Amino acid sequence: MAFTDNIDNTFAALEKDVLTPEREAALASFKALGVPSGRHEEWKYTNIKTKLPESLRLDDGRRTTDDSQRKFNSFKNIEGTKLVFVNGSYAPALSAIAAQDGVVAGSLRALRSQHADLIAKHFNKATDTTSENFAALNTAFAQDGAFIYIKRNVKAAQPVFIIHLYDAAAADVFTQSRNLIIAEEGAEINIVEDFQNAAGEKFYNHLAEIFVAANAEVNYVTLQLDNKHTTSVNTIDARVDQDARYHITTLTFEGKLVRNNVNAYMDGKGALATLNGLYLCTANNHIDSHILVDHRVPHCDSNQVYKGVLDGESTGVFNGKIFVRKDAQKTNAFQSSKAILLSDEASVNSKPQLEIYADDVKCSHGAAIGQINKNELFYLLARGIDEATARGILTYAYGSSIIADLPLEALRDHLYDRLKERLNITF
Amino acid sequence: MLHIKNLHARVGDKEILKGLTLDINPGEVHAIMGPNGTGKSTLASIIAGKADYEVTAGEIIFHGKNILEMSADERAREGIFLAFQYPVEIPGVSTTNFMKAALNAKRKHQGLEPISAKDFLKLMNEKRQIVELDKSYLSRSINEGFSGGEKKRNEIFQMAMLEPLFSVMDETDSGLDIDALRIVAEGVNKLRDKDNAFLVITHYQRLLNYIVPDFVHVMYDGRIVKTGDKNLALRMEEKGYDWIKEEVGA
Repeated sequence: MAFTDNIDNTFAALEKDVLTPEREAALASFKALGVPSGRHEEWKYTNIKTKLPESLRLDDGRRTTDDSQRKFNSFKNIEGTKLVFVNGSYAPALSAIAAQDGVVAGSLRALRSQHADLIAKHFNKATDTTSENFAALNTAFAQDGAFIYIKRNVKAAQPVFIIHLYDAAAADVFTQSRNLIIAEEGAEINIVEDFQNAAGEKFYNHLAEIFVAANAEVNYVTLQLDNKHTTSVNTIDARVDQDARYHITTLTFEGKLVRNNVNAYMDGKGALATLNGLYLCTANNHIDSHILVDHRVPHCDSNQVYKGVLDGESTGVFNGKIFVRKDAQKTNAFQSSKAILLSDEASVNSKPQLEIYADDVKCSHGAAIGQINKNELFYLLARGIDEATARGILTYAYGSSIIADLPLEALRDHLYDRLKERLNITF
Repeated sequence: MLHIKNLHARVGDKEILKGLTLDINPGEVHAIMGPNGTGKSTLASIIAGKADYEVTAGEIIFHGKNILEMSADERAREGIFLAFQYPVEIPGVSTTNFMKAALNAKRKHQGLEPISAKDFLKLMNEKRQIVELDKSYLSRSINEGFSGGEKKRNEIFQMAMLEPLFSVMDETDSGLDIDALRIVAEGVNKLRDKDNAFLVITHYQRLLNYIVPDFVHVMYDGRIVKTGDKNLALRMEEKGYDWIKEEVGA
């Protein structure tokens, strides 16, 4: 049985709405593209075809756990709106909306009529469903996700958390979830998206479209910390307009097979994008970071810093593309990709890919793959710290710089603690 | 306390220590002097347990145990401390967190509970004053951006925190101006008592004006070739190392 066999029936059963024509086009596109195999250039090192469920089963509301019984890390010590989704469907009983003037935050499905024009204007305008297999699949099938709309010149005082939970009843569900984030001119917001899958094998294909209008600022943090049994594709597409600032940070501490597509399209002069990531991979897991920054206009800056830590027999992929188009003069684009290998069996494929068609630009990239520094290790051992802990501390030292640049002190503290927990160290 | 017997060690094919013997008792301060390349820092590294050296003969007995069979971290938990000649910078870990991990590792080894946050802060405050280390250094990344003098003061601060029984100071005086040298030496003097011991490795006599040793050893070509009291250091300073070379027939 192939993944695509029942796809038309599944599609026919979906509710019809204003977005149905977009979805039909995306379905046709996905059927043409299929699930990528290892022969696909962009999937050369990530074999997802044999890792997906045998059929496409969407969330049908089956739950083993009552929402009131659900335990999850709710960021309860950090103020802000909490939007919680279970298998991609909004869970109002678990969510808490902190009212803020000029900020709309809620379920895309629930708000699609109320904001029909705005949604129609933006939906599917940042993503590429003609060549991206999973973007097409997501567009065709995703029914719900977060909708966040920040009105002109509103500086959101509190962050919005988007928390995804996966129910144990749904081991065969391939969750398709979709966010739409619209920051109007001069608006500012911090958004934290967290994928929590505490137990059991899960599959998800998530996509976020983010529109950062002129002079707006969106700071977006993606967390995949409780992800051990998850096979996932997560695509984050942003369009960054004139003088806007867009920051995207991805922290992946676990993952059976993780593919993160982080794409930033520089649409307006003077825009800035920072794309940072930290991934930790163990056992025979696989984490693939595919980054694209597309400089389409002059005078934009982009910075990328990715750090990986690979243990066991795990494998990592870093593919960082920077396009500087002919018109994009005075571009500054910087990329750094580093990884440390904690075992002899771990490996990483690092591929910087700079395609520069403008002649007056500053672009640089650096890639380094190394091990724990022996002198640093000996310094810690010489103070009585055992080797496993010393390695944990040095890994923490290496990785925590990615957290240090995040907004919200309470969030940073939370993430420092999670990183320590992940590395089995205390101090 | 520490007994080194006929120690031979090499790196690759190069023999560096060629039968070194040294006995150190509680309450004593020993100084080792000698020309460059004679094996002084190798000795310090081998005592601390650095893996780059191969010990081909001899033993180091510390409180009745042969420490050559222990890993570096076990030795440290048993009470051996190395003050590094070149302290390492580690961005991303504060000295506070580093010391908390180190102190609790030692406490665990002694069967004690981890230190409380309050007691730890109190202890840090007390110990940092021994080497006049400003509070702000403790929350900074380990040695990152520290001057040479600050790094060495941080070494002695760590020594004060961990209260080792036996400390090796590997050319702690190198690169220090006179004020920093005085602070470091006075710090060490405050930590001296009847139960602990120090091995001070230095190229120059200057440090020994401040940390007055009970014994001075001259090392040459992988062995101790002469032992005396503090006056031997003055003689070395005055006459240089050449007469030693002549005396041992090199």
